Amino acid sequence: MKANAHPFDDPTIVRRSKKKMRSDRCSTCRGTRMLCGKARCPIMAKVYANVRTAPLLETRSLAGSSPPSVFVGRFGYPKVDIGPMIPPRFGDTHLLDTPEEWVGQPIDSIIAMRQQLVRGRHSVRADEPEAPDRLLQATRELALGGPPTRIDAMFKKRPSGRIELNSGTQPMGPSAPIESFEMETVKADRRIERAYDDTDLLARDGIMDLYQGGVYVSRIQRALSAGLLGEGKRRRLVPTRWSITAVDSTVGETMMERTKVAPTIDEYRIYETTQLDNRWIIMMMPTEWCYELVEAWYPNTLWNPSQRSISIISSHELYQGRKTYAEIGGCYYAARLASNELLTREGRQAGVVILREAHPGYILPVGVWNVREHVREALRREPARYDSLQGALGHVERMMDIPLKRWIGVSGVLKDRLYQRRLEDYT
Amino acid sequence: MFKARLKGDVLKEMIKVVSTLVDEVKLNITGEGITLKAVDPAHVAMVDLSLNKEAFEELEATDCELGVDIDKIKEVLSLAKAGDILDIDHDEEHNKLVVHIENITRHMSLVDTMGMSDPKMPQLNLPANIKLAAAELNQGIKASESISNHIALVANADGFELSSQGDTDSVSLKLRKDLLLHLECSEPVRSLFSLDYFANMIRSVPSSGVVTLAIGQDYPAMMTFEIAEGNGSVTYLLAPRIENE
Repeated sequence: MKANAHPFDDPTIVRRSKKKMRSDRCSTCRGTRMLCGKARCPIMAKVYANVRTAPLLETRSLAGSSPPSVFVGRFGYPKVDIGPMIPPRFGDTHLLDTPEEWVGQPIDSIIAMRQQLVRGRHSVRADEPEAPDRLLQATRELALGGPPTRIDAMFKKRPSGRIELNSGTQPMGPSAPIESFEMETVKADRRIERAYDDTDLLARDGIMDLYQGGVYVSRIQRALSAGLLGEGKRRRLVPTRWSITAVDSTVGETMMERTKVAPTIDEYRIYETTQLDNRWIIMMMPTEWCYELVEAWYPNTLWNPSQRSISIISSHELYQGRKTYAEIGGCYYAARLASNELLTREGRQAGVVILREAHPGYILPVGVWNVREHVREALRREPARYDSLQGALGHVERMMDIPLKRWIGVSGVLKDRLYQRRLEDYT
Repeated sequence: MFKARLKGDVLKEMIKVVSTLVDEVKLNITGEGITLKAVDPAHVAMVDLSLNKEAFEELEATDCELGVDIDKIKEVLSLAKAGDILDIDHDEEHNKLVVHIENITRHMSLVDTMGMSDPKMPQLNLPANIKLAAAELNQGIKASESISNHIALVANADGFELSSQGDTDSVSLKLRKDLLLHLECSEPVRSLFSLDYFANMIRSVPSSGVVTLAIGQDYPAMMTFEIAEGNGSVTYLLAPRIENE
């Protein structure tokens, strides 16, 4: 799998707008908003051309153990597609839908794992999660589940197509409209079931109860998505992609309340890791809470089709927080959650700057989990410690290929630390 | 002991000034009035406010410190109509602040003042002094907001200027000496500031108010103005950004 020819040279892709293409839009759009005006994303087209086609199923029927896993699509909202995801095998399949346990796996095995998941589609209204619809209710019941659940499914036609990839959600295998399915009795996760039974519990409180009860973030996202959380009448089906960020953002925001009044850390720290050809540096500073995620895309990496220039984008917040959705998207909230987990564990406050350098080996979007889990992974390691910002920045300079000046140039937080004076400088 | 009767509008002005920087504040109360000092969490700005006895309809107090949650005061103030008078007293037994507006009584828990420091106002030598209507500053801020996140305050013996430099565009508001209420400037100076902070501070000046600005070269700015119809005063201090970006 190698991306070499320039995707914008593909003549089969019709451009709808005459506007000159700016390749730095790609890192903001990530194949979701079609900012280039083309009917389909040339980068994703290129990616698909390089991916092995998933093995097609021979028949319309499929039996296997769902991890358990459900998916809610976002297209056509408030009419959405919902359904179970089923691999063609039995046994302990939980790993297929547990990104918390994927760290360290090469990109190929993550793809190989995910493309086994065949997705059933069934069209329902997102604002009527209690509709008396057997397929809908069975899918929601599946989302309550703890261990893998055996399912016999019949599709309306043979599930076809290739692996589905996008920047928000984990990759998935082929899909087809589902006709019916039978499943063994679901062994519910008691913690999720308790939140589901409590129809007075706000979604926010439900999310936090589950998180504090040790439920994986990916499982909470599944429950929110299936409309299992929230006050009874206000429950909704939530497209998987949106539910991922809703949970990351809610949990992070709640932890931040404590972070913002805790004593600050005592030194500058640099945590780092390299995963899936992404280099990560998490810098923590002994200052008031502020946070930034900076992503740099090398030429010829996934979201930078340019042959020459590096594309860098960033979103940040200072102590007061931000009022608009982060330009950089769901990754921002995923990494903010991971950062606050560390600070909550230590009962400390810090300013956090996360630098991500995506190298040419990162050619497939694998989902926001990539950011959350790899930042978590870096933060489990022992940091390098410095007693000055200059020392910490020196570390960044040594470890990253992109010059420090470029990072500072786009970073709102670093510029604030370097150029904004504090009152104590004058006492 | 603390028992006060004051106009809702006076408390509103005071809260507006403080809430631009902090969520909680320690009030130093004496029989002569209320004073407070606070620094924002990023240590970029500070406020020093005093409200004289004359700002109150009635004030009876012995020296004490009360920690208040600004959001709670705002909630109460949102119940007050223009011209309403508030009665506030400290219930020492339960350590609550009790606020009466018309027929509403709110009991408000107080914040522990133990961890709240008394910030020191740095001694600054600021060569330029400018006095002008807040409305002029608001115009300059409005002009800058679409250009940049920063604003430069510039003064020389002939006038005062607010300017912003963006990637492609720039904007400036120039006021010659005769358009200012007062100008005193021993040497030309220029300092750059975060527009967010500066705008929030100037917005908390009561409408039709007058601001005295003291600035220096790459140095903090000091802003002084009156509240409570002259019976209270506010001093803001704002640290600069250094222009080597």
